[in-house]
Amino acid sequence: MSASERRVQSDALHARARAFVRAFEAGASMPEPFDALACDLARFQAAHVEGYARLCRARGVDPATLRRASDAPAVPTDAFKLARVAAFPPDEARVTFRTSGTTVGDRGTHAMRDVVTYDAAALAFGRWALARDLSTRPPIFVIGPSPDEAPDSSLTHMLALFARALGDGAFYLNGGTLDLAALSERVAQIAAPALVLGTSFAFVHLVDALDGATLPLPRGSRVMQTGGFKGRSREVSPAELRAAIAQTFAVDEARVVSEYGMTELSSQFYDAQPEHGRFVAPPWARVVPVDPATLAPVRDGEIGIARIEDLMNVDSAFAIAAADRVRRFEDGSFELLGRAPGAAPRGCSIAIDEILRG
Amino acid sequence: MRSAADRARDVRRLVEAARAVVRDRARWAAEIAASSGLSPEGVERAFLRHVEVDASDDAIAALVARAGDAPEVHVVLSANVFVAPLRAMAIARAASGRVRVRPSRRDPTFARALVDGARDPAIAIADFDVANVDRGEIHVYGRDETIADVRRRARVKVRGHGAGMGVALVSRDARVDDAARALAEDVVAFDQRGCLSPRVAIVLGDARAFADALSAALADEERTVPRGVLSEDEAAEAARWCGSVAFAGELARGRAHAVAIAPASAIPPPGRHVLVVPAADEAAAAAIVAPLARHVVAVGSDDAALAARVAPPHARRSALGDMQRPPLDGPVDLRPEWR
Repeated sequence: MSASERRVQSDALHARARAFVRAFEAGASMPEPFDALACDLARFQAAHVEGYARLCRARGVDPATLRRASDAPAVPTDAFKLARVAAFPPDEARVTFRTSGTTVGDRGTHAMRDVVTYDAAALAFGRWALARDLSTRPPIFVIGPSPDEAPDSSLTHMLALFARALGDGAFYLNGGTLDLAALSERVAQIAAPALVLGTSFAFVHLVDALDGATLPLPRGSRVMQTGGFKGRSREVSPAELRAAIAQTFAVDEARVVSEYGMTELSSQFYDAQPEHGRFVAPPWARVVPVDPATLAPVRDGEIGIARIEDLMNVDSAFAIAAADRVRRFEDGSFELLGRAPGAAPRGCSIAIDEILRG
Repeated sequence: MRSAADRARDVRRLVEAARAVVRDRARWAAEIAASSGLSPEGVERAFLRHVEVDASDDAIAALVARAGDAPEVHVVLSANVFVAPLRAMAIARAASGRVRVRPSRRDPTFARALVDGARDPAIAIADFDVANVDRGEIHVYGRDETIADVRRRARVKVRGHGAGMGVALVSRDARVDDAARALAEDVVAFDQRGCLSPRVAIVLGDARAFADALSAALADEERTVPRGVLSEDEAAEAARWCGSVAFAGELARGRAHAVAIAPASAIPPPGRHVLVVPAADEAAAAAIVAPLARHVVAVGSDDAALAARVAPPHARRSALGDMQRPPLDGPVDLRPEWR
C-alpha cells in the first residue's frame, strides 16, 4: 500500500471516529457499533504498525478475522517507551506527546498525524463533564504549566485547548512558580461561574501558598484536578486535596472533578458527578478490567488491570494495557484503585521498579 | 582478638554443616520448594550446584579478610535465594564471636538447618528488633527499602546487601550453542530470582542466532528442571513484559521461559525471562551496561578479557554457566557498600 493510500485509509478512520463525537454532541445514537470501528482500527494498525502486527502474531490473533474489539491485543503502555507506536512515518507527525522519563527507560512518545480528532474528542467530553452548566464562555483559570513550558505534554495541550475553546482562559503557573497575585486579582474581578483546571501538585502549591486564605469563586463554579505529584509537591490524599480545593475556591466538593487520562490515549475520563471515585467514559472509549496474567476480562465488580479501548487512537494503538488497577461497574463506569504494584521478587533479584528508579 | 586462622576454622565449621544439610536435603527439600516457589528439581539443582561446600582455603581466607571485625553481628535475612544464609552466616561468623541470625519469615528452613547443624554456640537463631541492637553491627540482606528502613531504625553500623542482577556478555567469537547452554544454566538457577541471575545478554555476534539457541537451551532445561510457580504478581509482570517486547522487538516464548531481542531498557522480570541486546562492538556493549552498572552484581562471559573491559569494576566476573557459583570469598555483592 502506498503512503497516500495509507493516509486515505487513516483519514477515513478519523472521520468515522469523529462521527462518534458529533453524535455525542448532538445527543444522537452512535453512528456504528463500537466494535465495528475498533476492529477496523485493529486491522489498520496491524497493517501499518509493525510492532502491533508482531504483537498480534505473538498472541495468535489474525486481525483479518476479528469480530470483537476485546479479541484484539492491547499494547502495554511500556511499549510506548520502547518503540514508536505510530502508523505513519515521523515526518508526518503533527504533534508528539511524551511521557515523563526514568533514569534507565526512555520517555514514551505518542505521535499524532491528525490532532483534530484528539481535540474534538477532548473538547466534546470535557465540555460535557466540566462546562455543560456554565455560561457560554466562562472564565477559566489554569493552574498548570503553559504549552510554552511543556510543549510535549498531552495534558498541557488539553488544558490549553480547554482554556481557549471552552471559555476565556489564562495560565497562572509560569516557570514552575505560581502567579498568585494575578490569580487573586482576576478571581476578584469575575462575576460569572468559572472553571479552574489544574494538576494535583499545582493545587497543593496553591493551597500552601495561600496558607489558609481563600479565593472564593462565584457560585456554580467547577474545578478539575488531574495527575499525580511525581515528587513535585508534598503528597496529599485525593480526599484531602479535594476538600482543600473546595475550601480554597468556596465550591461544593461535588464540583471538584477528577480527570483520568494518559499520554498514550486520546480520550479522557471524568468523575461521575456528583459522586467521587467513579469515572465515566465517553461512548468512544471503554475501560475493561482484565486479569493481569491471562489478560482475559474479569467479571464486573472484580478488580483487574485497565485495558483501555479508545477509538480516537486512530494512528497509534486503539487498545492499550495500562498499569492501573480498576474495578468496573455494570453501567460502564469504573473505579481507579491505583497503580499495580510491581512483583516483589522472592529472592534478591532486583525488581524492575527499582531499576527504573535508578 | 581472634586470629585469622580461628575465624577460618569457624567458617569451615559452617561449610561442614552445609555439607551435612546437602547430604540430608530430603528432609528439607519439600519445605524449601513450597516456600521458595522453586520446583523440587530446582531445589535439588540448587542443593547440588549452588551450596558452597567445596570452598578453598584461599577463598575462605579472602572471606575472612573482607569480613571485618565486630563484637557482635546481627544478621537479617529478609529476601534472598534459599542457599544464601551460608555465605551470610560465614561472613558474620568470620567477623564476630557472637552472631544472631533472623531468618527470612518466608524462607527460614535452610538457615535453621544450618544453625542446627553447625552446633556452634556462637551462632543463634533469634527474632530481634533492629532498633534494640545496641552493640556490634547489623548485616541486612533485602530490598533497598528494607535496608533503608533498617538503617533508619538502627543504632549501630549497618551493612546492607541489596538486590541486583547479572548480565551476560557473549563475544563475537563465542560458540553460540555452548554459550547459550551455559547461560541457560545460570538463568534456571533459582528461577532467576538471585542477585547474580542474568536478566540481560549483550551479544556482539549474531543476536538472533544466540536468542534462538538460548530459547532452545531453556526449553531443554525445562525438561529436567521445570520452572517453579510464579506468584500472581510475577505472572502479571511477565505477561506485561512479554507484550511490550513482542511489540518492540522479537519474542520467543516457551512453556516456561521467554527470550526477547528488544531495546536495552526492556529489563525483564525474573522467572526465566532473558533480554538479548545486540551490540555492534565493545563500546556499544559498555554503553548498554553503563546505565545499569549500579545494579549489576555479576557479569558472565565466554571471553574473560572482554568481561574485564566492559563489566563494572565491582561486578563479579565468571564464565557463563558459573555466574551462580561464586567462590565463598566474601559477599556475593561486591558493590561499594560492602568494601
